[in-house]
Amino acid sequence: MTAHGVGLMARQEIRTRLRTGRWKTLLAVWFVIVNGLGLLLRLALEASDTSEFGEEGVPMFGGVLLGVLVLTLLVTPALGGQSINGERERGTLATLQVTRLTPGDIALGKLAAAWGTGLLTLLLTLPCVLWPVAEGAVGLGRAAVVLLVIALLIGAVCAVSQAWSALLARSVTSVLMSYLTVFGLLVGTALLFMIGVPLTSERVDHGDHVHTNERTERVWWLLAPNPVVVLADAAPRLPEREIVIDGRVYERTPSSDPLGDLSREVRDIREGEKPYVEVNSATPRSTSDEYSRHDRRDKDDQKSVWQYGLLFHLALAGGSVALTAARLRTPLYRVPRGVRVA
Amino acid sequence: MAGRGEFGVEARGVTRSFGSVQALGGLDITVPYGQVTALVGPNGAGKTTLLLILATLLAPDAGLVRIAGHDVRQSPAEARDALGWMPDTFGVYDQLTVDEYLAFFADAYGLPKQERPRRVRALLSLVHLEDRLGQPVHALSRGQKQRLGMARALVHRPRVLLLDEPASGLDPRSRIELRDLLRSLAADGAAILVSSHILSELEEIADRVVLVDNGRTAGDHAMADLTGAEARVRWRLRSLDPGLLTTTLARVLDGQAGLEATADLPGGAEVGPLTEVGAAALLAELVAADVPVTGLAPAGSALESAYLAMTENRR
Repeated sequence: MTAHGVGLMARQEIRTRLRTGRWKTLLAVWFVIVNGLGLLLRLALEASDTSEFGEEGVPMFGGVLLGVLVLTLLVTPALGGQSINGERERGTLATLQVTRLTPGDIALGKLAAAWGTGLLTLLLTLPCVLWPVAEGAVGLGRAAVVLLVIALLIGAVCAVSQAWSALLARSVTSVLMSYLTVFGLLVGTALLFMIGVPLTSERVDHGDHVHTNERTERVWWLLAPNPVVVLADAAPRLPEREIVIDGRVYERTPSSDPLGDLSREVRDIREGEKPYVEVNSATPRSTSDEYSRHDRRDKDDQKSVWQYGLLFHLALAGGSVALTAARLRTPLYRVPRGVRVA
Repeated sequence: MAGRGEFGVEARGVTRSFGSVQALGGLDITVPYGQVTALVGPNGAGKTTLLLILATLLAPDAGLVRIAGHDVRQSPAEARDALGWMPDTFGVYDQLTVDEYLAFFADAYGLPKQERPRRVRALLSLVHLEDRLGQPVHALSRGQKQRLGMARALVHRPRVLLLDEPASGLDPRSRIELRDLLRSLAADGAAILVSSHILSELEEIADRVVLVDNGRTAGDHAMADLTGAEARVRWRLRSLDPGLLTTTLARVLDGQAGLEATADLPGGAEVGPLTEVGAAALLAELVAADVPVTGLAPAGSALESAYLAMTENRR
């Protein structure tokens, strides 16, 4: 495997790709939709005026980023979901395999092309992402970290889609599986967590009544691979603000920060709730709990979750690339069902 | 030829199964340098499987396969550098122009950058596509794409050429040009293996013919042996009195094994395989028996006869 081979394959992939579809039109539509939605969100925030102290930039940043993440992940499977089996269907893969290009060259070159296209779609979302930064509501560091995380997640999904296209003979099936993978990561992890919580909860017998303690610290890892969780938790915290009310100084985190709220929520889940003995089980505990949670300042001892999720995605990507390369290796000893060698 | 081995292609005892289906059952073939070897066999005989194995894409289950002296399993990369392969059906990158397509493969085969444009032009004129320079590949006709594929297979000046049905889709002129191209490449020392169904054409191109059937080598002949005076072919007889011809033939040929006459031809019959000497003797007997013979000519080619003899048991 050489850098030259990877570069050659990537250039070829981009060149053949750019000349097929109406890429310029598609990208223009993408640009208008994403930035249009961002602008509408901003207008809605200003109109409802829920955020305090003129901080529309913070919720806008969070909302737009979460939207951008989900939208780009929905676009990504289309980029690499048929890169290998599509080429096989067109009868061009075998002619590549008999050249000096190695399986690694082909796999990484095609991945680079797909990832590069994915990054281009991310680049087009920058105007509405950087607006809050320009306003000063969000620091440049936070924006940079968040964009980097999205870029890595796009790469991971590209790699997985490509592996599907190398594993499955038909491109329709592999694109479908790629979308299901993204769906599984975004929704499936949350569903599994919701199912997992009651299954792992603890029954406490008080003699006259029984109640269950949710032990979320046992299943928090189900949420870790969720791209939304990774993004929100990896985002650096906003600096706490000093607020003076009636002559007293309060320190508190900025309100309506979707990323920060999600992150705090997830870290609470990881920590789990301390088992407590309830005096009166009839009293809903949520009121006081919710209150304390919202008002809580960031604790330094809260353990973060994002590194596990990111590690999961990087491992997934690495495994996918290795699998793709293995499936491209020739001479073939076992011909998979439905695959034409040439 | 030091280090390259004696043969461009050397395969011995090659077997390959797909599940329970055995495609190759101990096939032997050699392709010497400087010659065109034809690979002939019925559909499903294993020709394409063999070419895929020789092209380093498919691994044989057992047997020895060497391309220019390199074992395809142990050193596929060296084998690939030495071989040019053109599959029976292949796609081209429709979005590219003709020269971009070839330049890409020149790069993929590791040709130095400064050499590539010259090589691309040389290849295009070799396959008579020089006027297509800069045109998109999708605008080419089927035959022109076939010629482009031929140019692609030659991009790195391989010493061994593996061509699967290279003439399919070519017009008569292009076929003649392909024949001349293959002859000149062989004259330059390349080892060329061509699989085809067009037997009459192979007779003009090939020096040797390897017959395969049921995944095994069924015959290995020098083309000169098949087409010379000693070649045994079928002969077509015409007579003014077909009835008399048939009865006389049955009497004359009685007792000679393997020489049944087919009498269902209008106004004639077919006998064979016979050498030219045998055919002359038969004619003399027929004339002596007062059969009014008006014509005696070889029916089909020697290669065709050998092929039909091989596949006879299938009917």
